Amino acid sequence: MLGFIKKDIAMIKSNFKLIGILIVVYTIMGLMGEVDISFILPFMSVMIMISTFSYDNYNNWDAYSISLPNGRKNSVKAKYIATILMILVVSIITIILSFIISYLNTKSINYGQILISMFGEIFGTLLVLTFMYPIIYKFGVEKARIGIFLIVFGIVFIGGFLLQFIDLSLIANSLSFLEDYLIIILSLIMVMMVYISYKISEKIFSKKEF
Amino acid sequence: MENVLEIKNLCKKYDNFELKNITFTLPKGMIMGFIGENGAGKTTTIKAILNIINSYQGEIKIFGLDNREDDKKIKEDIGVVLDDMFFPEILTPNDINKAMLDIYKNWDSKMFYDYLKEFSLLPNKQIKTFSKGMKKKLEIATALSHHPKLLILDEPTSGLDPIARSEVIEIFQNILEKEECSILLSSHITTDLEHMADYITFINNGEIVLSKTTDELLNNYGLVKCSEKEFKKIDKKDYLKYKKTKYEYEVLVENKKDFKTKYNISIIDKITLDDLMVLMIKGEK
Repeated sequence: MLGFIKKDIAMIKSNFKLIGILIVVYTIMGLMGEVDISFILPFMSVMIMISTFSYDNYNNWDAYSISLPNGRKNSVKAKYIATILMILVVSIITIILSFIISYLNTKSINYGQILISMFGEIFGTLLVLTFMYPIIYKFGVEKARIGIFLIVFGIVFIGGFLLQFIDLSLIANSLSFLEDYLIIILSLIMVMMVYISYKISEKIFSKKEF
Repeated sequence: MENVLEIKNLCKKYDNFELKNITFTLPKGMIMGFIGENGAGKTTTIKAILNIINSYQGEIKIFGLDNREDDKKIKEDIGVVLDDMFFPEILTPNDINKAMLDIYKNWDSKMFYDYLKEFSLLPNKQIKTFSKGMKKKLEIATALSHHPKLLILDEPTSGLDPIARSEVIEIFQNILEKEECSILLSSHITTDLEHMADYITFINNGEIVLSKTTDELLNNYGLVKCSEKEFKKIDKKDYLKYKKTKYEYEVLVENKKDFKTKYNISIIDKITLDDLMVLMIKGEK
């Protein structure tokens, strides 16, 4: 499986120039107080990972990968592991930059706030990617883009409509006893999200024909 | 003789196309040319062999093993070139080498870099900067660099200009001298195969029309050229297909010696694989 991960990491690495430019731009904007640097993570992760799928689809890698030893299983597993590795690396870069920006802007570093904000970003990024991957494996990148847009639009529209009739503070109050365990609960949810998404993608790819 | 590939009654149904009872074998150390027009079923058969399509009926054995049950073991010993380009073009040959080192147990980096040198491919250049012929050479180098026992090549010369095509053919001819592996080579460019292939398997409209040694095919089959009057004297069971041209009849016969003995027709040419394909597909009975 390592070989498949190396191939995905090589594809991610080929975007280094773009990643570098984005980090510089966001850092400057962060220093000017224009933007929260932690937004780099979701934006960059989603963009880079989708581009690896696009190259795989466009260059017929998926069919070829099946002709390699254990290709059906390993190419999906490798994609998830490469994603997690990339999120870890981008997270570390973002945290360090956030510390530096926070220090330069306010002469102090609010470690807790930065780390919690990063945790939220990682959760959000994984939520989007784990939701997207099975759709991409099923329909391919191009069709999945439209599908994802329609689903997100549907959720926002229906959610917005339903929220008119729900008292959120009531729910928040009734769940307030979970506050101390929030990080643990969210971490467990993240692990479950990745695992379920991986299993669905693996199942889809195991039946896929090219 | 030991077979490296055995296909029995392979069937696969699509809405507008069907593979019907595909059956043929490839003996060890031999080269089989798998011919047929575009859309005849060559790529679908190859995809079934490689499990790229897996919902088919029938039996496929490679090195005596079931291709679905022993998928991993079998694929360690197969080198593949598919008809479409398949490496993500932002990768470099160096990236391919690093990945394949951990994908194939027998990956031979030295061999891979030797091929890159021989094919004048720069290891650190992104694949997108390569021409079509260079991409194909990289795919061939990758297919060969883990010492495969079976090479499966799907239309490796298709879409290449004549220069690149002759270079690729030359590469195969050199490989044949150096390596000891069996080859299944699909192509609709039959001239590539006449001098290389030991066996020819011809597929048309999802069915195997024939699977024979190249010598048997080229020595026994014949192309009879005769007038309408002569043609009318030929018994239907003595020919396979015929085609009426502007000035004469072209008749495909299975055994030119027997035909010559029976009929007094002097012009019986040797057939080419092109003649065979055209007459079998377009000819009448």
